[in-house]
Amino acid sequence: MSHPASDGRPILRVEQVSKSFGALAALTRVDLEVRQGEVFSLIGPNGAGKSTLFNVITGLYPPEAGRVLFLGDEITGLAPEAVNRRGIAKTFQITNIFPEISVFDNVRVAAQSRAPEEGRLGALWRVADVGAEVTALLTAFNLAGRADERAHNLSHGEQRYLEICLALATRPRLLLLDEPTAGMTPGETRAATELIRRVAAERGLTVLLIEHDMSVVMGISNRVAVLHFGEKIAEGTPEAIRSDPRVIEAYLGGAD
Amino acid sequence: MSSTRFGWRVWVVFAALAVLPAFPFMTGYRLNLAFDALLFGIVAMGLDLLMGYTGLVSFGHAAFLGLGAYSTAILLERGVRSLWLCLLVAIVVVGLYALVVGYFATTRRGIYFALLTLIFAEVVYTFFRYTMTFGGSDGIQGLEAAWVLPAVPASAIDSPLKNYYTVLVLLLLAYVACRVLTDSHFGRVLIAIRENEDRARFLGYNVRRYKMGVCVISALLTGVAGALYPVRLANATPDLLLWTVSGEAIVMVMIGGIGTLVGPVIGGAFFIVLQEEVSTYAPKIYQAVGLSADKGVGLHFLIIGVILVLIVLFMPKGLLGAVRAVGLRRPRSMAPAPAGGSE
Repeated sequence: MSHPASDGRPILRVEQVSKSFGALAALTRVDLEVRQGEVFSLIGPNGAGKSTLFNVITGLYPPEAGRVLFLGDEITGLAPEAVNRRGIAKTFQITNIFPEISVFDNVRVAAQSRAPEEGRLGALWRVADVGAEVTALLTAFNLAGRADERAHNLSHGEQRYLEICLALATRPRLLLLDEPTAGMTPGETRAATELIRRVAAERGLTVLLIEHDMSVVMGISNRVAVLHFGEKIAEGTPEAIRSDPRVIEAYLGGAD
Repeated sequence: MSSTRFGWRVWVVFAALAVLPAFPFMTGYRLNLAFDALLFGIVAMGLDLLMGYTGLVSFGHAAFLGLGAYSTAILLERGVRSLWLCLLVAIVVVGLYALVVGYFATTRRGIYFALLTLIFAEVVYTFFRYTMTFGGSDGIQGLEAAWVLPAVPASAIDSPLKNYYTVLVLLLLAYVACRVLTDSHFGRVLIAIRENEDRARFLGYNVRRYKMGVCVISALLTGVAGALYPVRLANATPDLLLWTVSGEAIVMVMIGGIGTLVGPVIGGAFFIVLQEEVSTYAPKIYQAVGLSADKGVGLHFLIIGVILVLIVLFMPKGLLGAVRAVGLRRPRSMAPAPAGGSE
């Protein structure tokens, strides 16, 4: 690809995005800039608008105002499949996999979305061999031994990893992770955080992360933004955010 | 997936079907019954692509069947005798209609999808039922037989035999096509849509386009079967377009074994033979319980109903699932579980 993996260049820009559900203002004029190659975390109390912002970026809802730009191109209001084809993949807060087919088949159908057959007539009788790619992903996430298991038989932690494998199989440049360690034990959370950081570094991925667990955020992020009642109230390095009085106020006085 | 393991059995069954007419008990009447059984096998297999693989329930397959039948009937009535030309025209007509239905129905999910397919089918029914050019409620009657080959006119080979082999060859072609399709790139995306439509979108798949595609393919299989229908019965009537026919196709898929391709063929054949046999023996049953034949008219539907209910209740994986359970004693859920996995 022609884009050099240069740190500091913006990969995703969210400009003045607003979104409301009825009378509830879920997002109010939110600005965000994620730079190439960084791990950027989005934190905030429950109901702060973090998942809504993800849904606006990935095309589930169009925003009422504002723009979303990816690699300089406007992607505001594109459908989820179109956003994914631009190079943005998302994992879900509540595990969202293909439950009744095997773990291998889950990742395979995700990987084959980038095969040359997609969108061609030949897709009706041909299928690309993406086995090596699938095995590599499953191995990276310690799921290779579970490849033939039906996905819904996996443990919660394994399903969370499968969720990430599905997103990665679409070969994204930007990975949006919505609370990837939700429901994990502290030990699993540490392992998962380390794994995510390693895989992102290996693949030159930019990561935008929603996370509740402060230890995860502080350990993995280059920069952090804080949402509170749909507004961005702070942004900076993990150290700066930790000591920001507005952030402390939001968390202590917030709905959590 | 599991069905590839049973692949060779399918070919044995096809071989058995190919030699079936050689047996003395296969009279003209039984050959015609077998024709109907295999024809509805194709219909049910086509519907299975939608129901079993994509998770979409169509309540309008009667329209695809009926449109195929009327398209052949209209051509035969106007002197077109080539079966292949009839099939080709049916493919075009049914394909265009399915594109329209698919375009609108795929805008909605679940019961609304089913409802939209039903409404379209009812419009088609009403059109043929009340259009006198196409015979109104009588349909198109008294058609001449179609030629399979121009050099072999209809009378050259015993007609029930010729018809039987025609439908058998089409069933074979349809089965191979469906098997290839369900193992293809396209087929795997269909399964992903069945499993989790939203997730498939977030993986970059244009789900609506896939659904429209499978609607058309499913309709074409059903339409081809429909186009063959007047070849045996020498007519096409609006009954074929009735919503009850769509309902029966769903029953065939369910009792046979949804999502297996082979199962629905068994279901279709079983349903047709059951219907025929029960209504043949019904008068004897009526006599045995002391009813005159005309008073007991509804009774055989009750018998068919009870049998179908029992199958649904006690064979959750359908007839095919029951055959596999007896024949192999190795249900799929017990297949390889790596001992001492990571959890």
